[in-house]
Amino acid sequence: MSSHREAPEISKDPVADSTDLYAFVSPDKSNTVTIIANYIPLQLPSGGPNFYEFGDDVLYAIHIDNNGDGRADISYHFRFHTTVRDGETFLYNTGPITALGDTTWNRFQTYDLSVTSGGSSTVLGTGLPCPPCNIGPLSTPGYAGLAAQAVSSVGGVTVFAGQRAEAFYVDLGSIFDLANLRPLANAHAFGSLTAGPGVNATNNFNVNSIAIQVPISAVTISGHPVIGVWTTASRQKARIFDRDTGDFVSAGPWEQVSRLGNPLVNEVLIGMGDKDRWNALPPHDDKEFLNYVTHPGLAGLLNVLYPGAFPNLAAAVTAGTARADLEAIFLTGIPAGVVNKTYTTFTGTVLADMLRLNTSVPPAGSPSILGILGGDVAGFPNGRRPADDVVTIELQALAGATLPLVDPTYKVDGVVKSVTDFKPDPPAIGSPPTGSFPYLGTPYSGYNEPS
Amino acid sequence: MPSHDEERRSSGSSGRRLSRRSLLQGAATAGAAGLAVTAMGAANPALAATSRSAAPGLDPANTPAGPVVVHVRDARSGDIEVLSGTSATRLRDKDLAARIVRAIG
Repeated sequence: MSSHREAPEISKDPVADSTDLYAFVSPDKSNTVTIIANYIPLQLPSGGPNFYEFGDDVLYAIHIDNNGDGRADISYHFRFHTTVRDGETFLYNTGPITALGDTTWNRFQTYDLSVTSGGSSTVLGTGLPCPPCNIGPLSTPGYAGLAAQAVSSVGGVTVFAGQRAEAFYVDLGSIFDLANLRPLANAHAFGSLTAGPGVNATNNFNVNSIAIQVPISAVTISGHPVIGVWTTASRQKARIFDRDTGDFVSAGPWEQVSRLGNPLVNEVLIGMGDKDRWNALPPHDDKEFLNYVTHPGLAGLLNVLYPGAFPNLAAAVTAGTARADLEAIFLTGIPAGVVNKTYTTFTGTVLADMLRLNTSVPPAGSPSILGILGGDVAGFPNGRRPADDVVTIELQALAGATLPLVDPTYKVDGVVKSVTDFKPDPPAIGSPPTGSFPYLGTPYSGYNEPS
Repeated sequence: MPSHDEERRSSGSSGRRLSRRSLLQGAATAGAAGLAVTAMGAANPALAATSRSAAPGLDPANTPAGPVVVHVRDARSGDIEVLSGTSATRLRDKDLAARIVRAIG
């Protein structure tokens, strides 16, 4: 998955597990940038009675580097607070919830938002409302309107925190079954299964989103239109179970337990033994993980799993070719002059996994889900939009599609354009992304999913 | 609230410095301060009970409101980490580490 359950430790802590990060120039408000960080993966919509909520004991953050040093220049922090109106009932709600203030909503969350910049912290809002989870037509009728009530505008920032529909699509079952991509299944070394179109394993699941929309002018500095974005979740260093209350108590400084910049970096590139540590480190320490990026294990496996299909890639791997294309995509951004004269996501020479967005590139009139591979300079890896097919883009990049950017003599294997987990088209998504903030679709209701 | 970088740095510093003396005071008033102690990776109620004996010279204004967690990282060298609020303080005190270890023994 993009970053769902991507490392051993965080897979045991879903409340703090970042799943996807999006950053894009807002298509309907092009003087702003929207950043969405998703947490709590693979939510079964009907998963009550204790429905999904952010952790009161987790510090969620969205960080922005606007000068290319891989360090946060602006950080938005979110702290959540849960209130139970009636502790005598087990019910999440005791009647229909038609407004965020309804007393029929028994267990609800609010949050505080602050921003740290230039060494000082400013509280932008307190007690901001989260929407309930989408329980069903009787409990949460008119859910879209209910969720819209939870969009707040504070301190020049439009913000939302709550449940949304999963926008990420991937054929998990095939990828983790020895990269047995269904469209290519008949060519796999370990079996001769029938080729198929692919299965969207994340369809009809929900996530919890933290979304902000801020003026581009508020997050960039003069002459530096490219920003680097990542999200983190932190827990206090000590957590102790109090038998008297049945709760956990925490003490000590915040320690980062989850990090996400570019999709699939920790999941697919970083080795099992380093994944947890990677999650705990800041981006500017990513130099030590450089070898994982420039010599990706999956690139070496492809020609083994699909014998003879990737001869040129296999030769490059055998020659020990350092993948400068991947280094640029994930760790420095792509300098101007590589793709064309003007395209750039370059932030500097500091190696840091950040989702880089050139805010001077306007939203595409006709977006391609393949981003730069589809000729769309406003899509991944120039930021990431909810509909971008990052799995296919990165699989093809790993397979050599982007190697000619740094080595014009390299000939991409003919099969690379067929490397995808879905064919011929990306899958239909039950509740697809929308055209306005917070852009992710209305979450699936528990009554209807699974059906 | 700290920035991302500041969060990392806060691991080794403290908004309210906890000295060995204040730690002992905190231990002495475990009932009021909700002292929790980890030593060798395990919390031990016996130590907390032992620590409730007295509170000489305690300044209530300087008593942490939340739990104070003491992590004896290495009893032999006296490497102790004290966690309170959102701060952490590292102490090197062989005598204190020995007392804690004896208390749980």
